[in-house]
Amino acid sequence: MKRLLSSITDGKGFDILLVAFPLGYLFLMSGLPLLYNVLMSFQEVDMFSRGSFWRPFVGLKNYRDLFAMPETLPILYNTGIFVVASIAGQFLLGFGLALFFWTNFPGATWLRGLFLVSWVMPGLVVGAIWNWILSGDFGVLNFLLRETGIIDGNIFWRSDPDFSLWAVIIANIWLGMAFNMILLSVGLSAIPKDLYEAAELDGANAFQRFWTITLPMMRSTIGAIISLGLIFTLQQFDLFAAITSGGPNNSSNVTQYWAWDLSFRQYDFAKGATISVIMIIFVMFASVVYVRSTRHEVRG
Amino acid sequence: MTLQIELSGVNKYYGAFHALKNIDLAIEKGTFVALVGPSGCGKSTLLRSLAGLESISTGDLRIAGDLMTTVPPRKRDVAMVFQTYALYPHMTVEQNLTYSLRIRGASKAAMKKAAADVAATTGLSDLLGRYPRELSGGQRQRVAMSRAIIRNPKAFLFDEPLSNLDAALRVHMRKEIRMLHDRLGATSVYVTHDQIEAMTMADHVVVMRDGIIEQQGRPLDLYDRPANKFVAGFIGSPAMNFIPATVGSDGFSLVTHVGEPQTIVLDRALDPGRSVVAGLRPEHLTVVDGGGMFRFPVGIVETTGSATYISTATTPEITIVDTARRSIRTGDVIELTIRPSDVHVFDTKTGMRL
Repeated sequence: MKRLLSSITDGKGFDILLVAFPLGYLFLMSGLPLLYNVLMSFQEVDMFSRGSFWRPFVGLKNYRDLFAMPETLPILYNTGIFVVASIAGQFLLGFGLALFFWTNFPGATWLRGLFLVSWVMPGLVVGAIWNWILSGDFGVLNFLLRETGIIDGNIFWRSDPDFSLWAVIIANIWLGMAFNMILLSVGLSAIPKDLYEAAELDGANAFQRFWTITLPMMRSTIGAIISLGLIFTLQQFDLFAAITSGGPNNSSNVTQYWAWDLSFRQYDFAKGATISVIMIIFVMFASVVYVRSTRHEVRG
Repeated sequence: MTLQIELSGVNKYYGAFHALKNIDLAIEKGTFVALVGPSGCGKSTLLRSLAGLESISTGDLRIAGDLMTTVPPRKRDVAMVFQTYALYPHMTVEQNLTYSLRIRGASKAAMKKAAADVAATTGLSDLLGRYPRELSGGQRQRVAMSRAIIRNPKAFLFDEPLSNLDAALRVHMRKEIRMLHDRLGATSVYVTHDQIEAMTMADHVVVMRDGIIEQQGRPLDLYDRPANKFVAGFIGSPAMNFIPATVGSDGFSLVTHVGEPQTIVLDRALDPGRSVVAGLRPEHLTVVDGGGMFRFPVGIVETTGSATYISTATTPEITIVDTARRSIRTGDVIELTIRPSDVHVFDTKTGMRL
């Protein structure tokens, strides 16, 4: 008993204790629900068996049913567009801003801090603001596009099936851009200045320096930010709830919103769980890429 | 001789700070020039201005006869070796060496051959496939130099390239850089705060302080005839002793003001009664057994084997380098002598050589 106590205060026991708390928490709060979710996707769940743990096992039936539904493929397609367009927009604009602030003009640090406002705002609030901006009748975006002559008539962003998904994408790009900018700024500032001086003396112009020094030196940061972006966009739920609710007619529906809709509005927990499992596979893939890209961050 | 680098009336301001003050410097083709001085003296700023990494506020810079004052660094055709080496960490040694050629669109075969040729002369042939992080400090240093050599530039600029190496390697690389310079027939400008590096490597030493050139010339000229007290104290190791003194009534002697008044004989006449500073190099002071010019009590004795460093118990302290292995101990009184031609005299106020 005494040895155990001294091990906890001075020895390995303390290390184990420190690790045990977060691991225990993660297992309890994330691990168990995740496993339960996987289990549910192989069971038949209805209104009467919701409270029980051991429900009739149906094998892959839920998966077969899911892919037999007419809306599944369009929603998966929407999810793909949402993820690719959001990440591309967030990354390109974030990188552009990071490079812009990297020139370190007077007030750059201060202004960069202000950009973080978009990131600290709750998704529902961002959604509410973009509802105004995107509004078909009096929205400021329509006003700008109309006055500059890009469009002739108003676009009903949230209710036109051709635009509803893009309405959420625009808001999501705005929401995630600042996070991209901050991480990329950190990556940029980690590149030693004398590398650029050496490259300049070696005859490289600004574009060549960007291409041969900045981009390769940023490889691990870019890998990390894109895999994090994949994880974050697959988690993006608030904006759909606030802006389009997945409509009209599923035209802006994506898997993460649909899973919630199936489970908690239609009480089809089995199908909701099945979609979640499919998403878990994608997120796991992104996590592996993320972990692998941060592993190479040590430079020498 | 043609001038390879020419600076005339160069000034550099950082806001209100005047970093380079009216620098005039002419560097002949094929010479090895050392810029030396304490930190903050402007030597690095001057070098970076040559490279184009800093802009010159006023004045002209010519490289190989062409006006380069406002030309961007990449068009100046000068190569620089950085203190940190600045190797591209994501490229192999070979890619590091051929970077400048790649930028200019050289063919793969030409780059491979150039890298192999340079690597052979600098002993990097076995390391071409490695990354900088897999190299030792000395090897990185060689890569940095090879990267400069491969371009065959109009001038090589070195920014304290040896300060990250250990003492033994530094002495070795010193010789290696000088040999490379001679073999390539290059023009080199070398910044260092180490006067020994400057003296041993350079044909022409430029001593700087507070943005001005205090003195420039051949290393031994600077040692033999320092223009002022600053250069006298900076060049030579251990540093020159400075003793407050007054010129004697005959004009051919100095009366020192350390401890008891004592007399040093001069080989030239100065104004009698003038207040001056005598500069005596530790290696020029000789301990004698009688008939010395002056006597001092001994403070600390340090033996290195080849020489004995004797510090006197006076204020200011006087250092003597003795190579004769005398048994001198703390508390002894020693007699010293110095050849009149080895006595440097400086004005007390201006510090200029008299």
